Amino acid sequence: MTDEPGTSNSSQPSSTQFECNICLDTAKDAVISYCGHLFCWPCLHQWLETRPNRQECPVCKAGIGKDKVVPLYGRGSSNNVDPREKLPPRPQAQRPAAENRNMGWNGLNLGDGFQMSFGIGAFPFGFFGSMFNVNDGRPRTPPPDTPQYQDEQVISKVFLFVAIFMMFWLFVS
Amino acid sequence: MSSIATTRIQRELKDIKESNNQSIKIELKSDEFNNLRGEIVGPSGTPYQDGMYKLSIKIPETYPFNPPIVSFDTRIWHPNISSVTGAICLDILKDQWAAALTLRTVLLSLQALLSAAEPDDPQDAVVAKQYKDNQKAFVKTARFWAQYYANAPGPRDTDCVEKLRKASEMGFYKDISLQALSTHSWDLENAIQYLTSC
Ligand SMILES: [Zn+2]
Ligand SMILES: [Zn+2]
Repeated sequence: MTDEPGTSNSSQPSSTQFECNICLDTAKDAVISYCGHLFCWPCLHQWLETRPNRQECPVCKAGIGKDKVVPLYGRGSSNNVDPREKLPPRPQAQRPAAENRNMGWNGLNLGDGFQMSFGIGAFPFGFFGSMFNVNDGRPRTPPPDTPQYQDEQVISKVFLFVAIFMMFWLFVS
Repeated sequence: MSSIATTRIQRELKDIKESNNQSIKIELKSDEFNNLRGEIVGPSGTPYQDGMYKLSIKIPETYPFNPPIVSFDTRIWHPNISSVTGAICLDILKDQWAAALTLRTVLLSLQALLSAAEPDDPQDAVVAKQYKDNQKAFVKTARFWAQYYANAPGPRDTDCVEKLRKASEMGFYKDISLQALSTHSWDLENAIQYLTSC
């Protein structure tokens, strides 16, 4: 934090326009509200936590919130800092689509959603597969819709039928 | 005390020094940053003109996310300030506080409050009633208090001086006599009756 350029030059009056409106120091992890007021994200976050029922800009009382601020990225400001070390996390920047790509946006969005759910669904499957089959190198449960899978289903049903028959026979005799 | 509160107070003290406003002052009471002393000059065109009002300012642990606790040390006759305890009724010191407000803006707001009372949202019901029902007695009392407690300059109202002398000659403390006379809009008989009954 201390090695960031411009943190300790508060004696220069020209730097006041980049000072956080809450801690009055040079804004760190800066965010800007839609009403144009600058804050450190940790400072603004604490303000919003203090007044959960009245989410107002501390300067002008316009509506404000986690989704109503934009993070500011100066040159090399905090890009080299692991964001996980920062609590609370700063809201993400948004990247709205350019005007001329509006037509394809819905389709693209759908595609993304599909890909994402497929990826999540397949993950535990693959995970367990690799867990249980370290030695024989062959999946214990074959994937559905393969001939092998269907064969195993038929065999297990046959065994079940035989077992029921045996029990019935034992009971009768 | 949290580091953000301490650094902010340090910063605010520096800004106030640099702002060069002669009518407001803030200083540390000790080495602690949670206990400060403020002073405002009564605004001109009011009964408080050129009075020096001392304020006690306590900085909570959670400053600036919660407001400072401010009260008048110098006694004042005003509808929104308790004439007994100095407690202040001002929205920005309560639910209208915002983290971007500073001690400087608080003191300037208090000066504004001295210029424009809000009798419909009173702290001192007796003063507020007098302000609404007997404006002349209110101005006379507020001015006398400013001279008596806040060292406001100018000749004192002879009626006030005389009645206060009479009451204290009867053996009542001056502060209590002044309170009783003020409450009864300088009706000496009523004030004495009140003083003897309690
Ligand atoms: Zn800040
Ligand atoms: Zn704002």
